[in-house]
Amino acid sequence: MNKDVVIKCDSVSKIFYSSDKGFDVVKNIDLTVFKNEFLVLFGPGQCGKTTLLNIIAGLDMPTSGKVYVNNKEVIGPGPERGVVYQSISLFPWLTTMGNVEFGIKAAGVGKKERRKRAQYYIDLVGLQGFENTYPIKLSGGMKQRVGIARAYCIEPVVMLMDEPFGALDAQTRYLMQKELEIIWGREKRTVVFVTNNIEEALFLADRIVVLNNCPTSIRQEYVIDMPRPREYTGEKFLYLRKEITGNMDKTL
Amino acid sequence: MMNNRYLRVFLKIFSAIISIGAFLLIWHIATNGTKLGELMPGPIELISSLIKSTYTNIGKYTIIGHILFSLSRVLIAFTVGGVIGILLGTAMGWYKTAEAIFRPFYEMIRPIPPIAWISLAILWFGLGEIMKYFVIFLAAFSIITYNAFAGAQAVDPVLIGAAKMLGAKDSRIFRSIVFPSAVPYIFAGLHTAISASWATVVAAEMVRASEGAGWLIIQGMEMNNMIQILIGIIAIGIVGLLLSIIMRGVEAKLCAWSKSGK
Ligand SMILES: Nc1ncnc2c1ncn2[C@@H]1O[C@H](COP(=O)(O)OP(=O)(O)O)[C@@H](O)[C@H]1O
Ligand SMILES: [Mg+2]
Repeated sequence: MNKDVVIKCDSVSKIFYSSDKGFDVVKNIDLTVFKNEFLVLFGPGQCGKTTLLNIIAGLDMPTSGKVYVNNKEVIGPGPERGVVYQSISLFPWLTTMGNVEFGIKAAGVGKKERRKRAQYYIDLVGLQGFENTYPIKLSGGMKQRVGIARAYCIEPVVMLMDEPFGALDAQTRYLMQKELEIIWGREKRTVVFVTNNIEEALFLADRIVVLNNCPTSIRQEYVIDMPRPREYTGEKFLYLRKEITGNMDKTL
Repeated sequence: MMNNRYLRVFLKIFSAIISIGAFLLIWHIATNGTKLGELMPGPIELISSLIKSTYTNIGKYTIIGHILFSLSRVLIAFTVGGVIGILLGTAMGWYKTAEAIFRPFYEMIRPIPPIAWISLAILWFGLGEIMKYFVIFLAAFSIITYNAFAGAQAVDPVLIGAAKMLGAKDSRIFRSIVFPSAVPYIFAGLHTAISASWATVVAAEMVRASEGAGWLIIQGMEMNNMIQILIGIIAIGIVGLLLSIIMRGVEAKLCAWSKSGK
């Protein structure tokens, strides 16, 4: 099988400096993500997952090492990388439609075409009927749907998702995992998905990269080749869950 | 539920009528043929004079004419001060260069109460309208600039990052992220600024004018006309209240996105 490399991290490290002390957060990450792969970065809280994702996004620069997307070095934010955030980061003064079409508006797409394209992604995430609603009137799950549609609408090469369901209640979280899998099945993209929830990781991932605690480095990789959609209580699911959880970095 | 809410509103209005009524009654008794009555007109006399002043001239105009004079001074200077304040404030809050250039001057002007400029304004602009516009402008401008500045500085960096990831360039980020997120701050400033402008026009007219709400009060004092002074004060209060209600209405419309209610 011919695998195209889409994202390449080349010994990426990040040190945060405060006064005179350096604080290692990301250490020597070598990572390759393939076209249309659903890659999950799995690690404990505060281990440096957001930092690593921000570096891939171009929102933060690595202290050393380089990131390439489609063979081009990442030197800043850009619309070929879509981000879905951990916190709700919708523009509160824009409606669902306004948020979703923001990127293509900035890209100069005309109003008629823009509306059509934004509507397609609003429908894709199941928010028809809420086009003119402001974020404050949407539930947590619906807000993240807008966030996903907004990132999808600029049709990026890669989607970077930082614990997008972390703030949702358990019920909504399961629902959103199923929906995301369906969306991804229909609109294939290269996805890097960050989570600290093993069920979520196993349900969604083609490959799970387990991270060490701070400074984060790659501990182990698991290729997950279970057929989709997966059962949270399937035999292999439960086996892998135990295996990966047992192999997590327990140091604090 | 529904009935309950109507009942509560009804009770509120009812108790307001009772307490205002009681106040008017006490006032009437206290001033009717007493020593206090020589210092203070009774409510009936005052209210009937107030009504009469809407169709008979005090000086050159009716009370409505005087109010409109003051209002037009406020609205012109407030609008100019508001527009410049919003632009300058948000620009200083977002563009480091704008802050470096303008902030030192602004910080020098900001702590000076606008009324303190009146004498200087008279020397610069004479006794006419420009002097009044200038002082009201300063009142509105310094408050609004400060709020717009604070609003632009408080913009959520995650939203800036999100806009950049969606391909927005600097000028678009200013227009469509920094500016709208400063709007609630700007409105807080506009609220304070409209009251301050209204207070300032009265002060400016008291110093020198031949019409307007401030003139009404000063002229009443010079003529030893208690009722005219009181009418002026009441009119100023009513207009101040109306201005603030209108401002709240505009805010509710423009900041609908920040309100969770229906
Ligand atoms: N801008 C920053 N400056 C200093 N320290 C930071 C900064 N951002 C994150 N950190 C630190 O780096 C560590 C990892 O943070 P983060 O990447 O947010 O972890 P995670 O997303 O895995 O929870 C934390 O200890 C955090 O305090
Ligand atoms: Mg994080």
